Amino acid sequence: MSEAENRLNRRLFLHIPTVFLVIFFVLPLIALVVLSFWQTENYKIVREWTAMNYVTLATEPAYFIFFIRSLFMAIFVSVFSVVVSWPIAFFIVRHGGRYKLILSLLLAVPFLSGEVLRLIALQGMLGPTGLVNGVLLKLGAAPLRFIMYSNSATFIALVYLYLPMVVTTVYLSLLNFDFRLASAASACGANRFRIFSEIVWPLNLSGTIVGFLLCFIPTLSAALAPRFLGGPNGVLYGMSIAQQFGESGTWALGAAMGVVLFLFSMLVLGVFSLGIDLRRTGFTGMGRQ
Amino acid sequence: MQEKKISRRSVLAAGAGAALCMPFIRPAWAQTQTVRALMWEAYVLPDVVSKFEEENNVKFVATFFDGNSEAYNKLRVGGAKEFDLVQADGFWPQLYFRDGLIRSVDYAHVPSAANYLPEFHAEKFKVLTDPASGSKIGYPFCWGAYGITYNAAVVAPEKTGTIECMFDPALSGQLSTSARFEENIALAALLVTDRLGSREKPRPDGKPFNPYVLTDEELDGVKKLLIEQKALLLTRYQDNPTLFQLLQSGAVVAATEFAQVFRQLLTAKDRNPKQDFRHTLKMKEGGLGWVDTWLVTSGVEDGPKLDLCNKFIDRMISSEIMKRIGEVAGCSTTIDLRGISTEEERKVYLMDRSSEIADLFMFDQPSSPEKWERVWSNVQAA
Repeated sequence: MSEAENRLNRRLFLHIPTVFLVIFFVLPLIALVVLSFWQTENYKIVREWTAMNYVTLATEPAYFIFFIRSLFMAIFVSVFSVVVSWPIAFFIVRHGGRYKLILSLLLAVPFLSGEVLRLIALQGMLGPTGLVNGVLLKLGAAPLRFIMYSNSATFIALVYLYLPMVVTTVYLSLLNFDFRLASAASACGANRFRIFSEIVWPLNLSGTIVGFLLCFIPTLSAALAPRFLGGPNGVLYGMSIAQQFGESGTWALGAAMGVVLFLFSMLVLGVFSLGIDLRRTGFTGMGRQ
Repeated sequence: MQEKKISRRSVLAAGAGAALCMPFIRPAWAQTQTVRALMWEAYVLPDVVSKFEEENNVKFVATFFDGNSEAYNKLRVGGAKEFDLVQADGFWPQLYFRDGLIRSVDYAHVPSAANYLPEFHAEKFKVLTDPASGSKIGYPFCWGAYGITYNAAVVAPEKTGTIECMFDPALSGQLSTSARFEENIALAALLVTDRLGSREKPRPDGKPFNPYVLTDEELDGVKKLLIEQKALLLTRYQDNPTLFQLLQSGAVVAATEFAQVFRQLLTAKDRNPKQDFRHTLKMKEGGLGWVDTWLVTSGVEDGPKLDLCNKFIDRMISSEIMKRIGEVAGCSTTIDLRGISTEEERKVYLMDRSSEIADLFMFDQPSSPEKWERVWSNVQAA
């Protein structure tokens, strides 16, 4: 292959994804920022520069409440998902044997159906006539009101939606972790708790943080789960943004809400990335178990 | 000159490239027309659409929306060039026409229009007439109200004669309303203005009272009322099947809705005989009404495309299809079906009560979507 062809191939290899990212990622983001500094009046965009939307966000408590609700929801869902993911991933890696790959692929099964379908199925499960409350009613017990159209229902749904992501990330981290380090610590007399807290957990912390973030970021902007399951008190920030771009037609305010969410997500990513050391992600380079 | 060899790899690459391009390359003779509709999902009858496509060698592409404002936004953003047909209700078609999003229509090209109920005849139904030019701007389709569907075995019928029923603490946890913010606010406004006695006072727009045009004081009252109501609601339903399940299971005993679920409950095969579902069309404080329409966008010019649009509308408002739509979507129709309906159907589908539409406040655009959005957000956050 000539030097010119080589250069052309290299350019194509880099330029195609760059053009794609600029057109479909950077430009929409710029458009969102521009729109957030305009106004909407009676479903019409007024192209006059103003920071009014940001003033509204800062002064109207409703949007702040939506944001705080979303933030707490994202923290609870992500922490819970990490706590649940660890034993699952650990079990697959240590005891999965030759079924390890199949077990890990099973985690992706829910993704074969759409998100709306999964939420509607969950609505059927948790609703007043759903499987859980239906059985309780048949048994003569009172239905569980907290799982019907509430923040608890949204929490269950979001864990259901994003748990596979966290398990997969922790699983991949553990898969590449050199368990001989744990054996060595054990041989030196460390108990199980010490081995976990001083060797397994720190060396897989980066993978765990990545899993946490993969759950935290989409949960922070979740719109569908609260819409279908949240009930009258379950409106979250993402749902409110969707409302601005949908029935309310207050796009400029929605754009400002989107910009705030984007900046906050970037901040979280920045802070958490400080804790990620790729040399300590379980990829110790000493071979797999 | 460098000689280029045809390798197996290059043939495979060329073949793959050609295959990927095929869907985008079609000869002119194979090109079929497309009719693009922005419509409510409930009105799609797949077999009717397939037959229309087959008979006219066209492709029918439907895009769905939930509320008028959403459709209006879609039409404005995409422009009238993106769609050929659009549906709207209440006073929204007038707004579409003023904004140049739809065009005038001629009932003479849609033979089924001759079968409208008297209230919806071209000369009588002024909502679809442009006041300036007098030309018709759309075709009435289905009609209904935003009344209260309730289980009379639990809720006394006289209670539902007032909107207060939807704010009754005695029914706490057994009430439900739609998730649409305009209708929630407008219905609450009927109660608030009735309590305040402000309907007869000069209105902000100088016109007679309209629950979609409210003063700040009235909006504040609406906000307080809706916040109080939140504690009484099981949920705000997103779609009719959800409300159907909630009412049928007994989890909800009263809900504001478009009378569609009410009819589905009455005609359900697994109906519980202990339940007695009824619907209040108009409460003592007033009621909200709607007439769904078919409109032709301004992007459609005279010629084959307009003929296709007219044909589709003619098919949709034909007696045979309207009867099926009434059954499937659970709505009353603007076409006179009394000749082909049973006594029970005449009663359930309010075929003899279409004149009552005149007493209802038609769905409209909020006087200030921005203010209404703040009120709704504050209610949701409270």
